[in-house]
Amino acid sequence: MNIAPRYLGRGSWLARRDPRVLILIVALFIFTVLQVWDIRFLLVLVVVSVIYYRSAGIPWRYIRRNWTVVFVFIGTLVVVNAIFAGGATAEIPLEDAHVIFTMPILGTPMSAESISLAVTLFLRYLAMATIGFPVAFAVAPADFGVAFRRLGVPEKFAFGIDLTFRFLPSLAADFQTTVDAQRIRGFDWSAGASGFLTRLRRSTPVIVPTVVNAIAGAEDTIDAMDLRAFGTGPRTWLRELRFDRTDRLTLLAFAVLLAVFTVLGFAGITSELYVFPFLLDLANR
Amino acid sequence: MSTATMSRNSLWEVSSRVIVYSAIGAALYGILLVAQVPIPGTTVSVRPAFALVPFFGYAFGPIVGFFTGLVGNGIGDQLSGWGALTSWNWSIANGLVGLIAGLAPMYLSRWTNGSLRDRAIGGAIAGVIAVIIGFLFTFTDLIIQAGQVTVGGVTSFYITVVVADIIATAILVPILVYAWEPVKDRLGR
Repeated sequence: MNIAPRYLGRGSWLARRDPRVLILIVALFIFTVLQVWDIRFLLVLVVVSVIYYRSAGIPWRYIRRNWTVVFVFIGTLVVVNAIFAGGATAEIPLEDAHVIFTMPILGTPMSAESISLAVTLFLRYLAMATIGFPVAFAVAPADFGVAFRRLGVPEKFAFGIDLTFRFLPSLAADFQTTVDAQRIRGFDWSAGASGFLTRLRRSTPVIVPTVVNAIAGAEDTIDAMDLRAFGTGPRTWLRELRFDRTDRLTLLAFAVLLAVFTVLGFAGITSELYVFPFLLDLANR
Repeated sequence: MSTATMSRNSLWEVSSRVIVYSAIGAALYGILLVAQVPIPGTTVSVRPAFALVPFFGYAFGPIVGFFTGLVGNGIGDQLSGWGALTSWNWSIANGLVGLIAGLAPMYLSRWTNGSLRDRAIGGAIAGVIAVIIGFLFTFTDLIIQAGQVTVGGVTSFYITVVVADIIATAILVPILVYAWEPVKDRLGR
């Protein structure tokens, strides 16, 4: 079982950036997207996110499945939301909405406004997911601890993040060993399990030994840390992080983007839902 | 160092033990998230690994619980390719679940100081309470991203997740408490 962060963007333009850049850009971009309800401006942000994503050089063949999950997840969320909204939006009640059709079986009215909102929401989520992907694939796993530390996370917690990534391979191997050991005893997670509660209970022969062994085996690590006087003074990190000129310019670009969209939002230019005119025409027919 | 023997002051102590247990909890949560049990007839899956969040909080305190939920969910998202920070609200909500379960000695002292059976039941109760309260934070996701809290949002976000996680918590946390407490006594902790 290969459970480890996949550093697929290794060597790309984005992977060569200081890891703090990738983390800060997610925050800056999410706050930018959250202010935009006009789909025309949102499309600009989607393009920005795709260009940024492409600079991570993540091979498509390895993450096709991840993108499928993203589309299914976002799609389900948006469709369910649209059905329950019943043709209305936060600002426009159903009486003022332009109803185009009523969904068969459910009888839910779908209006130009609710369809426009659904498409807008889909693109908002998509833009945010696109900007988030490089964090998963273009940051070296060993860099997370020091990156968060340099971003102001307390030292012990930053070390905890670092330690978490270091534990992943060994605990994943322990998990696989436990699964194999139980299989030798005739354990099969799903075979013969009729209900989901039975299947849930059947997970305990794998989960419980893995967890208890991991906790019991932690004593060595705790002793090693105590012997090295962990937490008694400031610690140093092997990896030095420094923003270079490109890092600063990239961050500046996203900060400017946030500032521009904040101003546009306050001016009321991007903060209103854009309803597609052809949908309004369709409703008026 | 279970909740049963933990004083109120020691709940907030950040020692090497707390950091290591936190890291183990987060790593295990992230790894075991690969196992999901779908509920027939729905799009919802119960994640057995979720029970680790209230368990680590309940057994090792609120800081361990918070870290396990917050970082573990981020790691799970990272491993799945979603990106550790994309669903930051959900990571914080997971963290809050661990934190609230870790505060059990403050609101469930009768159970946490009782027999092994009481402590196991106390773990399930603390976990369920923590799930219901902790996941309220996911409404920030609805408000910030969707601009409103709708019935659809509540249904697709909150209720489905809470129901699935309550099932995992109520079943697995007592089992984990029953398994861990004798080991803990043997190890002299």
